[in-house]
Amino acid sequence: MNNTEPEQTDAAQPESPRTIDIVNKGLAKRYGREKRFKMYGFFAVAISLSFLALLFLTIFSNGYSAFYQTYVKLEVFFDPADIDVDDPANSNFPGLVKKTLRSEFPDVKKRKEKKKLYSLVSSGAAFQLQRMIEQQPELVGSTMTIEVPADDDVDMFMKGNISRDVPENERRISDRQLDWIDKWLKEGRIAKRFNTTFFTSGDSREPELAGILGALTGSIFTLALTLLLSFPVGVAAAMYLEEFAPRNRWIDLVEVNINNLAAVPSIVFGLLGLAVFINFFHLPRSAPLVGGLVLTLMTLPVIIIASRASLQSVPPSIREAALGVGASKVQTVLHHVLPLALPGMLTGTIIGIARALGETAPLLMIGMVAFIVDIPKGFTDPATALPVQIFLWADSPERGFVERTSAAIIVLLVLLVVINSLAVILRNRFERRW
Amino acid sequence: MSKQKKYTREQRGTVGRIESDNPRMTCRNVNVYYGDKHAIIDVSIDVGRNEVIAMIGPSGCGKSTFLRCLNRMNDTIPTCRVTGDIFLDDTDIYEKNIDVVPLRAQVGMVFQKPNPFPKSIYDNIAYGPRIHGLVGNRQEEDEIVETSLKKAGLWKEVQDRLNQPGTSLSGGQQQRLCIARTIAVSPEVILMDEPCSALDPIATAKIEELIDELREHYTIAIVTHSMQQAARVSQRTAYFHLGDLIEVGETKKIFTNPQHTLTEDYITGRFG
Amino acid sequence: MLTRKTKFLLWTLILIFSAGLSQAQARDYISIVGSSTVYPFATVVAEQFGKTTQFKTPKIEATGSGGGLKLFCTGVGIEYPDMTNASRRIKKSEVELCSTNGVKEVVEIKIGYDGIILANSRKAKPFRLSRKEVFWALAKNIPDPGGQQKLIPNPHTRWSDIKPGLPATKIEVLGPPPTSGTRDAFVELVMEEGAKKFDWIKALAKSDKAKFKEIAHTLREDGAFVEAGENDNLIVQKLDVNPAGLGIFGFSFLDQNGDKIQGAFVDGVEPTFEAIAEGEYPVSRPLYLYVKKAHAGVIPGVNEFLNEFTSEKAWGEDGYLADKGMIPMPEEERQAFRTDAQKLNTLNLE
Repeated sequence: MNNTEPEQTDAAQPESPRTIDIVNKGLAKRYGREKRFKMYGFFAVAISLSFLALLFLTIFSNGYSAFYQTYVKLEVFFDPADIDVDDPANSNFPGLVKKTLRSEFPDVKKRKEKKKLYSLVSSGAAFQLQRMIEQQPELVGSTMTIEVPADDDVDMFMKGNISRDVPENERRISDRQLDWIDKWLKEGRIAKRFNTTFFTSGDSREPELAGILGALTGSIFTLALTLLLSFPVGVAAAMYLEEFAPRNRWIDLVEVNINNLAAVPSIVFGLLGLAVFINFFHLPRSAPLVGGLVLTLMTLPVIIIASRASLQSVPPSIREAALGVGASKVQTVLHHVLPLALPGMLTGTIIGIARALGETAPLLMIGMVAFIVDIPKGFTDPATALPVQIFLWADSPERGFVERTSAAIIVLLVLLVVINSLAVILRNRFERRW
Repeated sequence: MSKQKKYTREQRGTVGRIESDNPRMTCRNVNVYYGDKHAIIDVSIDVGRNEVIAMIGPSGCGKSTFLRCLNRMNDTIPTCRVTGDIFLDDTDIYEKNIDVVPLRAQVGMVFQKPNPFPKSIYDNIAYGPRIHGLVGNRQEEDEIVETSLKKAGLWKEVQDRLNQPGTSLSGGQQQRLCIARTIAVSPEVILMDEPCSALDPIATAKIEELIDELREHYTIAIVTHSMQQAARVSQRTAYFHLGDLIEVGETKKIFTNPQHTLTEDYITGRFG
Repeated sequence: MLTRKTKFLLWTLILIFSAGLSQAQARDYISIVGSSTVYPFATVVAEQFGKTTQFKTPKIEATGSGGGLKLFCTGVGIEYPDMTNASRRIKKSEVELCSTNGVKEVVEIKIGYDGIILANSRKAKPFRLSRKEVFWALAKNIPDPGGQQKLIPNPHTRWSDIKPGLPATKIEVLGPPPTSGTRDAFVELVMEEGAKKFDWIKALAKSDKAKFKEIAHTLREDGAFVEAGENDNLIVQKLDVNPAGLGIFGFSFLDQNGDKIQGAFVDGVEPTFEAIAEGEYPVSRPLYLYVKKAHAGVIPGVNEFLNEFTSEKAWGEDGYLADKGMIPMPEEERQAFRTDAQKLNTLNLE
């Protein structure tokens, strides 16, 4: 600089600022900019976190009460007149429950009032007694204190979702029923306990009897099949496309289509599943078998794309090293490239599976959006899935299903967290070895 | 200095004796194309038995490309095309029905950047013998690992930690591990593509020492852009320039009395 | 190593498939499809049936009335549903579809009624509307109030624009999307009837059915009618925070949420259980169950399930279906359909 433009430099010499001064002058601005950039990032994270917290908070505050259920203690006399020990299924257990309630409140005479009284306890109480007798026939003739689930309206009242203050004709608990509940409350015979039913039974139309296990089992069967099919097929497809396929128009076409498939709305896969698996192959409707196949189709493109990306990220030096000692192409890929790409493939698979876990739309077409009480025992039993259960409960008129919907969402979220942490653990294990 | 006929820059034919008295590999009229680019132009050269031949030249002169033709590593590049004849002993390695797997077992390669497998030191060495079926049991495997590491001069340093990952070693050790891995399959020729370019002088000295020892059992072709290294380790030297093989000769001669102007320019540091 | 794993995987897959195919040969549970309006009632019966008998609990899918009948009519055989629910009667075209696919004998059982309710929040006064006023409020195009036989875009923004006695709040009605049976019933029972209050449109219903449907079925798209999705619980919640809004539901949602919402009087009648059962409340529709006769005796439990469904403890006046909000039929009607169900009398739609 000095050599080429001497005049200017000379003239400016006395005040010519040194580089360090110029740098120092701009320094505050530079750091300010950096600080602001960091702040933006921080705020972005903070905002998303607070939304997430809000979501969790609402769902949790709506749903936690479903983990408790109101139970009533009843003094039941197993009247041999009502119970046929040899054939409990045809015995009049509902009558036994009613008789017990009548004996509690002998002053209830009118038919309408009796009906109100009976509706305080769940219709599940009769089944509970029936099961007891089936397991222990010797109980017949004895008297026992048994805790039975309260009706969902009573449960809602106990949880504060039905107010005493509204006029009688506007609430589902009448004044008379309130008196009975108050009496039980005074005697300490009605109380909230942990709701095991929610985790151990299938769907029901009575909120107090409804549980998540059926849907959870359905989800597990469906996703197990999805994982079993989509991971090996997806990895194999990615490996072929990335390592072995010749570069030509057909392969390009296949690649473009895989990328397109990843963006296809999931309902389309449901329609495809309906046409192919159910109408053509005559696989059973509503079965995890078909659900798993459909979700496999949906997850495959995601896995293939993620697997290819992670194959691409394996350094070429490893391939050269293997080829250099005389490994064949397949040996190079299987022994060296695949193990290095596996963590990335796993991540892709988990993302795909997590998405599959939350799907309802494709399951709708293949009949998995259904009322199914029995817990599925295999891949061909009728089953629903967790998100489907949430969807169905959200649409049920009974107030008790509102909190159960949120509770089911909590279970789904917990499951997602478990799956994702499993992914992280698996990935770290594979990566930590080297 | 007896001034012989000087070859001018424009003359691109090979000067010097391309033949070897006892050739291991014979290359005749080799041309390599990357798509439309003519990367190696009509190169003919012999690689002699138990000699170290150095290939030198400025960057982009095609020396590495040529080296990779010798064990068909160029096959992995889809656009690459090779014409001409390359013989290993009496077999044309570019013949249609030649299987590259046994070829690469015979002609091993050490790369510019140390690239051990992300496996244990033991497995790095044992992998080659395993896939080629050279070992039948664990004992033979142990033996081959030990002898290979000993030949590569790494045994003393790693004998207590054979189960640690190969990537945990230092750069020089990694490169010697790669050499050990290559010699574990007992190749006949070892190709080395700038094996010391990523290493410090001390590690380089060790590798060079090793190359000298290995010459007893193997034929070695080494690409380097360090002229001192070429002078130190090789018996013959080939100078490449823009895809042409300009001059071949005994290393001593090349460095003391280059025939071609281009070689002279390069060696005297006028360019390169 | 890897090949062994792959082999193992392959065998597992083959096993799963063969298991799936072999099990598909038999079905030991009843499969029901159909209307989402009937779904909450049919499922209660199914659950009760599953718990009190040795049969498995029937599987019930909510596919909508039309979708259900389509599936139902696809054929006879275990892969097809045994029964379908409908919130309307089977159409002639559907009977024909059934019979071309071999479903020739269909048992029709009317199971009860459902009321369509216009409801608002308890925080506001109850609405008193006529069907004509609802039509005035919600049709996209309404007849020219000048008396000419032409249509003008709906100008009403407040209820008071329609009739001075109505509240001066914005017209805002939350309702289900066109895929819903409730929407079908609402359009048919309220909008069509409201439109027929105009003589020239009524004449159109006979002469130009398509034109009539276009007038009666097209709801406003300017924000006065809001498609709130299939989730009726969500509509209840929205009404709770927006006292000016009005929602369209099935009766069971009013029944379950009586402390939050109240039904509007339609043509002077309040939507109560009794009023719907007596047939006084004008906006109600029958609910049906269609059964494939060919499946009775093949799929275990078909007769027993019908027996449970048509028992007094289920569909009677004090039955558990009434508890869930279904409006029972009069006693003679129940008697007649119970006989049909027990004898499997087949439908003859003429």
